[in-house]
Amino acid sequence: MDGAEFALRTPTRRRLHKGPLLAIGIAVAYVAIVLVLPLVTVFGEALDKGFGLALAAITEPDALAAIRLTLTVAAIAVPLNLIFGLAASWAVAKFEFRGKSVLVALIDLPFAVSPVISGLIYVLVFGAQGWLGPWLVAHDIHVIFAVPGIVLATMFVTFPFVARELIPLMQAQGKDEEETAISLGASGWQTFRRVTLPNIRLGLLYGVLLCNARAMGEFGAVSVVSGHIRGLTNTMPLHIEMLYNDYDHVGAFAVAALLTLLALLTLVAKSILEWRSPELRAHHP
Amino acid sequence: MSISVRGITKRFGEFQALRGIDLDVATGELVALLGPSGCGKTTLLRIIAGLESADAGVVRFAGQDATDWPVRKRKVGFVFQHYALFRHMTVSDNVAFGLNVKPRRERPSKAKIAARVAELLKLVQLDWAGDRYPAQLSGGQRQRVALARALAVEPDVLLLDEPFGALDTQVRQELRRWLRRLHDELHFTSVFVTHDQHEALEVADRIVVLNAGKLEQAGAPDQVYDAPSSAFVHRFLGSVNEIPGELAGDQVRVGPLALERPAHLAAQFSAPDAPVKVLVRPHEIAVERAGERGGGAWQAEVKAVRMLGPIVRLELLPDGGGPVLEAEISRERYEQERFVAGERVGLSLRRFEVYGADAA
Repeated sequence: MDGAEFALRTPTRRRLHKGPLLAIGIAVAYVAIVLVLPLVTVFGEALDKGFGLALAAITEPDALAAIRLTLTVAAIAVPLNLIFGLAASWAVAKFEFRGKSVLVALIDLPFAVSPVISGLIYVLVFGAQGWLGPWLVAHDIHVIFAVPGIVLATMFVTFPFVARELIPLMQAQGKDEEETAISLGASGWQTFRRVTLPNIRLGLLYGVLLCNARAMGEFGAVSVVSGHIRGLTNTMPLHIEMLYNDYDHVGAFAVAALLTLLALLTLVAKSILEWRSPELRAHHP
Repeated sequence: MSISVRGITKRFGEFQALRGIDLDVATGELVALLGPSGCGKTTLLRIIAGLESADAGVVRFAGQDATDWPVRKRKVGFVFQHYALFRHMTVSDNVAFGLNVKPRRERPSKAKIAARVAELLKLVQLDWAGDRYPAQLSGGQRQRVALARALAVEPDVLLLDEPFGALDTQVRQELRRWLRRLHDELHFTSVFVTHDQHEALEVADRIVVLNAGKLEQAGAPDQVYDAPSSAFVHRFLGSVNEIPGELAGDQVRVGPLALERPAHLAAQFSAPDAPVKVLVRPHEIAVERAGERGGGAWQAEVKAVRMLGPIVRLELLPDGGGPVLEAEISRERYEQERFVAGERVGLSLRRFEVYGADAA
């Protein structure tokens, strides 16, 4: 009887049932413990001994070198993965070809393999004792314990992000709009630029941001190939670990806070772009 | 522009979609490709558009071999079942798309494009919706935008793939009448695909019936409806009663009726007494009260009476067994006769077709 009465009342009162309330409660508590608390701690620890010390920690030469290297690596790896992701998802979603399922499976490989192993693979291939080692040494090309190795390892670890984001999206959108554009006289490039790209741009943006966040934050694979040379092959995550191991808590957390800030910035950028997209607002007035 | 299709064959892996299709569409004609799903009608349309390539066969546009022409060169307007509007563009930008992507020297000025878009939106009665996005329109409105967009580039041929398939009945009827009027006004050559026989009968100048990748019959709507060339076409174009019968000399025996054997059957059946299937449309069964005007030699019992708006359907159980028959009479006739369930009536067949008993 109680239940029936309740059901009759809900439409007017819009009161939430116990179930949804519980679910919301769990979600909020989880986010608070797993996400917000550590985030606050990072900034708290960084500023523990004052803003000046934190600032000094991120402006000392080794830290600056690490920041520069991290940004450089991301600036190379992200655009390359953007191009690869676009090409792969376009091919997978819009065309039928032999070996398609193999390609899709391979795209997932970096997610399945531990980053440390990815790093080791590069050492095996490009290291001094590796397959290409002697040839590289002979031509004075440094890959392992140098920037190229870090870039390669980062690319490997982050290459699924854009493709994984785009493939389901492009598959769901089908080919109708592209075929319409072609039948209306558009060239292949016009169709891509005016129809395909605008349709996927939010997914693309999201994929790029995830890819970028991971590229800047990657630790395992980079750790294996970098050699941890201070001021030379240390990225921000490696630098943080090194400071932490040196019991330099303020320094470690200051650089960590900066890295976190970079990640938060990309998320804010995404929200702003989403908010500015006119047809999205048309969908959800 | 006339379209001519010869010997078109297409296979998708193990699936034979089209098996040697020949088809002609005259300039200014509105042709329906009709058939059940999987019959190859959409594939044929896409091959004409150039969106799919045939394994064998030729497509000619105005007599020129267009088989290997790219889509852009064919100047066809293509309208999809699910509209395929560019979701990130306003209605106006959608309609203007074909004009905006023209090479610079052919592209009309901005003002001219805007004027053309306004004109087209007026034509499809959506002049108020130019600044809306597709997501803000109803299905019928979206399909009208798709039509306006296709017409913007003045295509030689308009191809429509189940254009009204995703709409509810009322909008669908409205829109197909509107399409017919539009065609009468603009006289574009047009081919549309449908699985809805009412749609084909109502809109098309000519109906082409496809089944399992083959052309079953092509002809004017009344021709296809009244003189189907096969049991398949007969069944597909409307509801039908199937009654087992047999040939006996120059007669066809159905129940106790001995009907005159149609002349064109001679070639089909060599044996004088082959078993056959007699197909009769519900409105071709004449129903009389038993005892009146002779009442017909074939007696039956009325099992049920169903009122279907302008017509009334009677379910009849003929004496001597056999399948339950459906007869349709006009509302007017019903109001005179007032048939009721349980009463006895006499049947005769006004028009029927005879097919071999093994006809699929």
